[in-house]
Amino acid sequence: MEQTSKFKATLEAVKKSNLTNMGLVLIFLLVIASIFSPYFLDPYNLQSLVRDLAFISIIALAQSCLMIIGELDLSVGKIAAFCGVIGGMLMVTGSINPYLAFGISLLLGAVLGLINGTIVTRLNLNSIVVTIGMTGVYGGIVLVLTKGKAITGIPKEIYFIGQGYILGIPVPFVIMLVTLVVVLFITQMTQLGRYMYAIGNSPEAAKILGIKVNNIRTIVFILVGFLSSLAGMLMVARLGTAQPSIGDTWALNSIAAAVIGGIALTGGLGNPFGAIIGAAIITVIQNIIVLFGVSPYWQTAVSGILVVLAISFHSISTKIGERKRSKIKVV
Amino acid sequence: MKILEAKKITKRFPGVVALKDVDISFSTGKVHCIIGENGAGKSTLVKILTGVYKIDEGTVKINGKDINEDKEIIKKVSYVPQELDLFMHMTVAENLFMPFSSSGFTSMIVNKKNLYKKALPYLEKFKITARPDDLVDNISVSEQQLLQIAQGTVNQLSDIILLDEPTTSLTTDDTVRLFEVINQLKSENKAIVFISHKLEEIFSIGDEISVLRNGEKVAYSDINEVDIPWVVKKMTGKEINENIKFQPKDVAEEVILSVNNLTGEKFSNISFDLHKGEILGFSGLVGAGRSEVMHAIFGYIPVWSGTVILKGQPWKLGDTNYSVNNGLIYIPEERKQQGILSNLSVRENASISLLKKLKSFLAISKNKETVIVNEIINTYNVKTASQNTKIKYLSGGNQQKIIIGRSMFSNPQILIFDEPTKGIDVGAKEEIYRLMKSLAEEGIGIILISSELEEIKKCSNRIITLYDGKKVGEFPTNKTNNSTIINSIMGVNKI
Repeated sequence: MEQTSKFKATLEAVKKSNLTNMGLVLIFLLVIASIFSPYFLDPYNLQSLVRDLAFISIIALAQSCLMIIGELDLSVGKIAAFCGVIGGMLMVTGSINPYLAFGISLLLGAVLGLINGTIVTRLNLNSIVVTIGMTGVYGGIVLVLTKGKAITGIPKEIYFIGQGYILGIPVPFVIMLVTLVVVLFITQMTQLGRYMYAIGNSPEAAKILGIKVNNIRTIVFILVGFLSSLAGMLMVARLGTAQPSIGDTWALNSIAAAVIGGIALTGGLGNPFGAIIGAAIITVIQNIIVLFGVSPYWQTAVSGILVVLAISFHSISTKIGERKRSKIKVV
Repeated sequence: MKILEAKKITKRFPGVVALKDVDISFSTGKVHCIIGENGAGKSTLVKILTGVYKIDEGTVKINGKDINEDKEIIKKVSYVPQELDLFMHMTVAENLFMPFSSSGFTSMIVNKKNLYKKALPYLEKFKITARPDDLVDNISVSEQQLLQIAQGTVNQLSDIILLDEPTTSLTTDDTVRLFEVINQLKSENKAIVFISHKLEEIFSIGDEISVLRNGEKVAYSDINEVDIPWVVKKMTGKEINENIKFQPKDVAEEVILSVNNLTGEKFSNISFDLHKGEILGFSGLVGAGRSEVMHAIFGYIPVWSGTVILKGQPWKLGDTNYSVNNGLIYIPEERKQQGILSNLSVRENASISLLKKLKSFLAISKNKETVIVNEIINTYNVKTASQNTKIKYLSGGNQQKIIIGRSMFSNPQILIFDEPTKGIDVGAKEEIYRLMKSLAEEGIGIILISSELEEIKKCSNRIITLYDGKKVGEFPTNKTNNSTIINSIMGVNKI
């Protein structure tokens, strides 16, 4: 008895959840795409789709951790570019072992996250404003270092990380899955994760509970720096060059993905897994636009409109539901 | 004359019937008091009468018109919420006349001078000393509360004024001011609905009273025909003895907390000792610095000078993490913002301070967590549908019990309760008093901040009074009469 009622309750919760709604949107998009484009289900297209998805997803996972504690980082793309370029230079100009250079870059990402976090927490500043500023700083250094040109001649040894496959699955996607597991473990199962949700709900209450609010906020910023750098280096390994333009769209796409996935901008609410669904919706939309032959000049506008529609979906469907219910009452 | 009549109204939420077949009516020129424990359905009733919720069954008629047919008629009701709902960064006058269209300012352009001029009579009427061009952020909390009430009466359409716990953050003086205003509104033939937990107030201002219990109206009477024990009995379904004391017995000689010359932004030279097993009451006006002193000892706000010694050891100030880990726990007054984590479940709220104990390797053990949260729920008699219910859906009393429960399970030595029964009904209040008493008798030192003299007198062994950030008195509760304490907190007879 108790078992079935528990099951029913879970089923109800699943039905109501925003994640289910978004899952349905995603499936709808996949069906549309496979019906109207013969190329969508082509293995080559799917692999490239999944690889694109990996990059947005990693950043969106990072961003959703920050959103849970009620902060945002708009400098994720530039951290990726900065670390990618430094990593590339270490490999090419510095002739360091490419894997070592990869590792150094990840550390650099963590340090940049630490800088963001320290400024936000110690000076008690708004994270949006700080990270907009830091976007300029990191982006500016990249331009100084590269003079706007890509760094070519990245050693072939690390191409595998960006271009290779494990059992037919692109390596970046595998790395994304590992990231997902780690992020879900931290946020859903550990003390740190609970404290993150507590801070997102009310930093004052968290402080009164004796939680070291600023330390935890800084830790999450470090995690975000690290993951941004990871995505950046994966991009370098995928392209075979270190482009200064890496990550230009990542900040906004990652926030959109997290919001679509039901993570509240106000903090303390949502599951990072939603960010993956959000990222998938965005990636599939972008893929569909290309497959349907939308003029390149229109692509940004169309994908923007579709993303806004996806974000509004939950609220629109709730409103329609309410209207239906009120009509039933009148009859 | 009856202006609002509700018949057989029923409101259901998933899993609960919040209101069942409630009949209620309000008449012009009368103060109708509504009383009931938390969760009795008062808030639901208020939300129906103000048009926030739609009823499932029954009718509500204002001036004979059904509110479902005439959408405008609901504007006759103006509502003064319990929680302050003002625009903090706008002026007093702007807040007073918001929304401008219904307060007679129909021009597209806001004429500030005119606004300020028109505001003056209202401020005078409500005895608000702030100027019309002061920012609301800069005026005192009690003036904000009065302003909120003034705002509800400005609306020229309104004939029914709903006051939801208007006196929660008012001092005795302000309450008197408020009652004068209510009497004036009565003489203007408005219908007043007065919702409060404070029984004495109901008896001094009310004309008629309705009692709600578990979503049903269980009693109605003319106020002259009943007394306080009658109301309490109807509310709780059981008799409550008003004179029960909750002072812990056998206070030890041992001093566990000693505060010396503590000075900070809003208080100076505060010194006192807290004994093991004692409840030490802190009394004072709103703004006297009671909470600030405790915030400082707890490490939430900085201290300028002075020392604190806990069990003979010097105490580190300015670090809440240190305080909590060393057995000093603060239970905040602002339960919504500082106490509960509103979007999290009862389980997550209850376990948040115990996570260290619940770890198996790196992760939190769900099993251990469920067991200990069940223990908290049972020990502290928390009423909740399940552990997974979001805590914001619990009543104030039950939220408070979760907060006390989680604090107790982390083995504190000292507990600071800041207005622990704010917004909590009579029945649950007594439960909290009993809890504090038994905790003290287990050997914990308790500091109780309260604005209700009765509460302080019932519970504490000694009372310290503060005035304007300074300690002005220290009294053994049982040898001191009320007027001595009141004189002291009002700043008369300074020591």
